[in-house]
This record gives sequence, structure tokens and C-alpha cells, in this order.
Amino acid sequence: MSDLFLSENLYIEPTFTTPEIRFEPSKQYFFIGGNSYPENSLKFYTPVLEWMRHFVEKHSPLPDHPIVLEVRLEYFNTSTAKVLLDLFRLFETLQEKGQPVRIRWVYLAEDTEMEDAGLDYQVAVKVPFELVPLNE
Amino acid sequence: MAVSYEHKLLYRHEGPLDMENLPYIVQTMDRLLHSEGLRPPFRRKVVTTLIELAQNIIRYGAPDEVRPPLLSLARSEKGFVLTAKNLVHYSQEIFLRSYLTNLMEMSRDDLEKLYNATLTEGNMSEKGGAGLGLVQVIFKADEFSYELTPADEQYSWFTVKASFSPTV
Repeated sequence: MSDLFLSENLYIEPTFTTPEIRFEPSKQYFFIGGNSYPENSLKFYTPVLEWMRHFVEKHSPLPDHPIVLEVRLEYFNTSTAKVLLDLFRLFETLQEKGQPVRIRWVYLAEDTEMEDAGLDYQVAVKVPFELVPLNE
Repeated sequence: MAVSYEHKLLYRHEGPLDMENLPYIVQTMDRLLHSEGLRPPFRRKVVTTLIELAQNIIRYGAPDEVRPPLLSLARSEKGFVLTAKNLVHYSQEIFLRSYLTNLMEMSRDDLEKLYNATLTEGNMSEKGGAGLGLVQVIFKADEFSYELTPADEQYSWFTVKASFSPTV
């Protein structure tokens, strides 16, 4: 990957089983949304993790402009749950480099199962992790 | 006359199972649960269990066109029963019996600890499994049981039943 990619967005279109992924460095806004139950989550997310690792390596911190990762999932499988943690760890690394980050876990307010999943991540990761219940 | 809900079949899929038709099965079951008046957290428990059981079949089940897998959802007196049945090679039997017996003997606290430890420290398999599926299924289900019965000299039927009782 060349450094040119740093000004480029990462975009992956959603399918029935894989989420929309929209990482927009210029807007400091990263988004994952939709269903995520690919047969092989590692295979699906490897390019995403690779992109993110390269971004973390090359990114120059902007202390006044936090990077926000918004996660708005519908149904997701356990292997996605594991890969998400790997992704969140990369946000920890970004934070250790001096870049403020924030993860927003968005879910339907009445969906206590999603709230619990968010709470588990909130405990597991060392970056500001906000639970955002939506009232539909 | 009292209506018995014992084994009232709501959905049944018996046939090839792959990543092409799984989304259709997931959407159908989600809609069915919605039409039964079930709220999002309950639907999530059932549907994510369906996904885990179906993907275990897709990843590890023995393909057999004549004896395809079965997924079903039935209403029971207490709630809903999800059943997954597929052929497994007999060489997998010892592992499955030992693994599931071990999981079923664990307390909820220990299952949760195992889930979290595997989530944070475990490795993914080449087939993309995280080793978390059945742990989550047993943790989320209100009742869980399995059976392994001989199908022929090489294969056994592996049947999993996960029951869920809505609290509201």
C-alpha cells in the first residue's frame, strides 16, 4: 500500500451477510453497519484490518480532532465478535500514538442483548467507548 | 379447549444449506419471530443461535445430497425450540461428545469466562470459526441438549436443540 491511500477512503458495500464499511480518514469518521455473519470472518475482515494497520502506522496524530468509529450492527456472528475486538485494539494503538479516538456502539434501546455486547467491549478495550441507545 | 403448543412447527428447512440461502432462512425466521410479537433481545438470541448452528453445519457438517441438514423452529409450551440436525463423520463424534459434555457441565459464570477468554486470546480457525459458537449457544439458550445417533457405518446424525423462553 502506498502512502497515497491515507487520503483515500475505504469503502466496502454491504451484502446480506457482510456489513457496510466506510472508513473516511479525511472526515475522521469510520463506520461499520449492517449484518456481519460471513462464513469466514477472518477472510472478510483481513483487508480491513490490514488497511487499518497501515493507517495506524502512517497516521500523524491530530490531538484536537478525535477519530470516531461508529458500529451499528444488526445480526453478527461470534467470529465477527472476535475480529471486532482486533479492530478495536488497533484503535487503542492509535490512541497510544497520541490520536484521540472514540468508539460509538449504536443499538436499539430495547435490545438489551446488544447493550450487553457493547458493555463487554467497553470493559475489554481501553479507549472511550460510548453506548448509544436509539429509540425508534 | 386448551390449545397445546407442544411442537407446533413454525419453520422447517430441510435441504442444502450454504451462504447463499442462509440469509433467506435468517430473514424468514426473524420475520416469524417478529410476527409472534417477540421483542428485539429475544429475537436476537434465537436468530444469532440459528446463525451459529447453521454456520457450524456449513463449516464442519458432512455434505450429503441425499441426507441434507435440517433447521427448524417450533413453538413449545415454554417458548421456542430451535433444532439443527446434520450428518457428521464418525471421527468427529468423540470430540463433540467430550466438548459439549464439558460445556454443559459449566456454570453460567464459567461459560462467560470461557467466552471472554476465547474472545480475547483465542485464535481463528482456517475455516473462519472463532471457537465461540457453541459456547455462546449454550450460554444464551435457556435449555440445551444434543444427540449423536448412528446414520450408517461412516456417519452419525448430530442433533442440537436450543430452547428459549421469552420473559416478556
